[in-house]
Amino acid sequence: MRQLAVRAVQIAVPVALVALWYLATTRWGVSRILLPNPVDAARALGHVLATGEYVDDLRVTLTELAIAFAISVGAGITLGYLFSRSSFRIRVFDPLLSAIYSVPLILFLPLYVLWFGLGPASKIALGATISFFPIALSTIAGFGRVEPMMVTAARSMGASDLQLFRFVLLPAAFPVIIAGARLGFTVALLSIIGSETLASLAGLGHKIVELSEGMEMPRMFAYIAFVVAIAAILNIAVSRLEAWGRRHT
Amino acid sequence: MGAAAHMTSLAGRFLTKTAIARLAVIALMLAVWEIAARGFVDPLFLAPPSRVVAGLGTVFATNGVPAAVGITLVELVVAFALSVAIGLSVGLALGLFDFPRRSFMPMVLLVYGMPQITILPLFVLYFGIGPASKIAFGVTHGMFPIIVTVVAGVQNVKPILLTSARAMGASFWQQFRYVVFPHMIPVFFTGMRLGMTGVLLGVLLAELYVSTAGIGYFTTLFTQNFDPTKLLGLVGTLAAMAIVLNAIMRRLEMRFARWRD
Amino acid sequence: MDTAIRIRNVSHRFGEEGEARNVRALLDTSFDVARGELLCLIGPSGCGKSTLLNVVGGLLAPTAGSVEVKGKKVAGPMPRDIAFVFQENALFPWNTVRENVDLGMRFQGVARPERAERAQRALEAVGLKDFADHFPGQLSGGMRQRAALARALSLQTDILLMDEPFGALDEQTRMILGEDLSVLLAATRKTIVFVTHSLGEAVFLADRFAVFSARPGTIKQVITVDEPHPRKPEFVTSEKFTKLRNQLYALLHDEIRKTMSAESARPATPGALS
Repeated sequence: MRQLAVRAVQIAVPVALVALWYLATTRWGVSRILLPNPVDAARALGHVLATGEYVDDLRVTLTELAIAFAISVGAGITLGYLFSRSSFRIRVFDPLLSAIYSVPLILFLPLYVLWFGLGPASKIALGATISFFPIALSTIAGFGRVEPMMVTAARSMGASDLQLFRFVLLPAAFPVIIAGARLGFTVALLSIIGSETLASLAGLGHKIVELSEGMEMPRMFAYIAFVVAIAAILNIAVSRLEAWGRRHT
Repeated sequence: MGAAAHMTSLAGRFLTKTAIARLAVIALMLAVWEIAARGFVDPLFLAPPSRVVAGLGTVFATNGVPAAVGITLVELVVAFALSVAIGLSVGLALGLFDFPRRSFMPMVLLVYGMPQITILPLFVLYFGIGPASKIAFGVTHGMFPIIVTVVAGVQNVKPILLTSARAMGASFWQQFRYVVFPHMIPVFFTGMRLGMTGVLLGVLLAELYVSTAGIGYFTTLFTQNFDPTKLLGLVGTLAAMAIVLNAIMRRLEMRFARWRD
Repeated sequence: MDTAIRIRNVSHRFGEEGEARNVRALLDTSFDVARGELLCLIGPSGCGKSTLLNVVGGLLAPTAGSVEVKGKKVAGPMPRDIAFVFQENALFPWNTVRENVDLGMRFQGVARPERAERAQRALEAVGLKDFADHFPGQLSGGMRQRAALARALSLQTDILLMDEPFGALDEQTRMILGEDLSVLLAATRKTIVFVTHSLGEAVFLADRFAVFSARPGTIKQVITVDEPHPRKPEFVTSEKFTKLRNQLYALLHDEIRKTMSAESARPATPGALS
């Protein structure tokens, strides 16, 4: 019975919000300059999807994301592994990496723009930089926390360094690293959209800014919904991949 | 102990091998930066740390910079205070009462998972280019981690503790005050630390977006003028501010998490 | 005596003099282990018995002294001559039992065609034939240790070093596994050095047991148990057993008390040795 009431609330609240939104723009005189009519916004979304006008910006954003993530995974896992090789190294580097990561690294966007300009390069560089940290930190944690008894046992049976890495360290660390990579992906996506919003000539983030400056409210809302949907789809895809990866080690 | 022995043991505590190694790594990075900036990289793009530090005075002498940084700091504090107030009240409301939590928590998580950056232009459109939009954007980033951690903290009280209290005759309010609340405090401080991180992100994002006033104006100005010295100085100052704020929250968190394993 | 392991003046210190970690784990210890015997090392916590085991197995280089195994000086792990069984956490949780056994041989360098057959025989020897394709996480503690034993057996070494292999198990499982180990010993004639805390286990399993003093430890006394393997469960209730157990208790009691009072007087050192 309670369950039904819970469901009812969960449906009623969004419906009520949409209703309020509709009323606000049609009856209660909230300016169309600020808030588009939800019907207009929905129509604009349909139009955007139908004409495929989002393609160019989407391509820019996804390309930046792919390259940035590839770089951060490569660098993060490599350096994370190297930093995990002794407890001394872990004690030196782990806090350093955590400290840098605790700063909102988006602050360095102006620097990257200075160095790489307003094009994709600065977004890729920043995306790679920001997502490097969760990946490196989780790699250190994964490799650093391998049960020492397992390493001892393998060594006592004559395992070489390569065998140790392949059969003991890697499988043991894999789940943690994958979780970190997933976090890194999310962070990369957010930072790329963010840097497109702040300083760019193309990409989905830029598009939204462009529309807000042009006061094209229905299309702006359409693109906001679109980007939120894309982000959700990508996140679900990555979760699936993570679950698949976990099952197959 | 003699004075010398005392000093060496004090030094030994601070200058552990790991601390020295860490300082060495930082020093090495600064050295590489310094050399690269002086010898190899076009001065239009990079300034050596020595010059950046020396130039800090000029940066802050520039008309409007101290005000911009000051306002940012105020925005951070206000946004954080609001995040804590909202986060704590909503978190407690959801954590303590079953029906609201089951109804609203999924919605909270859904909004928390949304890329809020997409609606930054809306915030500025609605709240203007002044502090209000920055504070608002900071609050929306900072309150969610606090809500989530407070709910978890309240929910994770071991049932056996509440059962014992009830068996001893405690009322709902007493159970809250003497069991739930103390249990929740360490988690709350963790939430506040995460909230601070969120607030920093939100406020700084909004500030950087508004390039017609505030810090965003100056970062854009220094970038367009190819003035890495001033840019690094400003960005460095803000980064330092973020590090200090985070460090404070971390200290607080550790101090209040003492009874936890 | 046909000597399998020759321990000469081995002593070990952890950490540097003056460091917080500094601790003398093992005092000058010399001993010979005969081929085919099961030698138990027993003593209070921190007396250095596991340290000695690790030195013998080449996992630890002693600060002084040397060990010879089958005439060769020990300078590192000797996977062809020595196999270890640890207390727990040494099986790889992402591999099945069979894969774990196979992997051990792979590390040692056994060729692929031989591995499957050897693995099967080892698993049958410990009674895990039907669970070979389970994961360690799906097995009880006793079965996991059987798996660890199977892995060690498949390596076909002459010497087996066991560091409290049944320490994490309940007493009933320990008894059964102890009996099975005795049967295995009689069948294979391996040389086994077995570290334990349990008095009953030491008397039941050992051909000889070496009693350690409190830290810094050294061998206080060696007692021979004159009873052939495989040992019957009835041995436990015999007069001989009770007498030996009492003797062992008397030897150990003071050392254990010494260890306990030393521990409460000093804050615990991290990474406690045994």
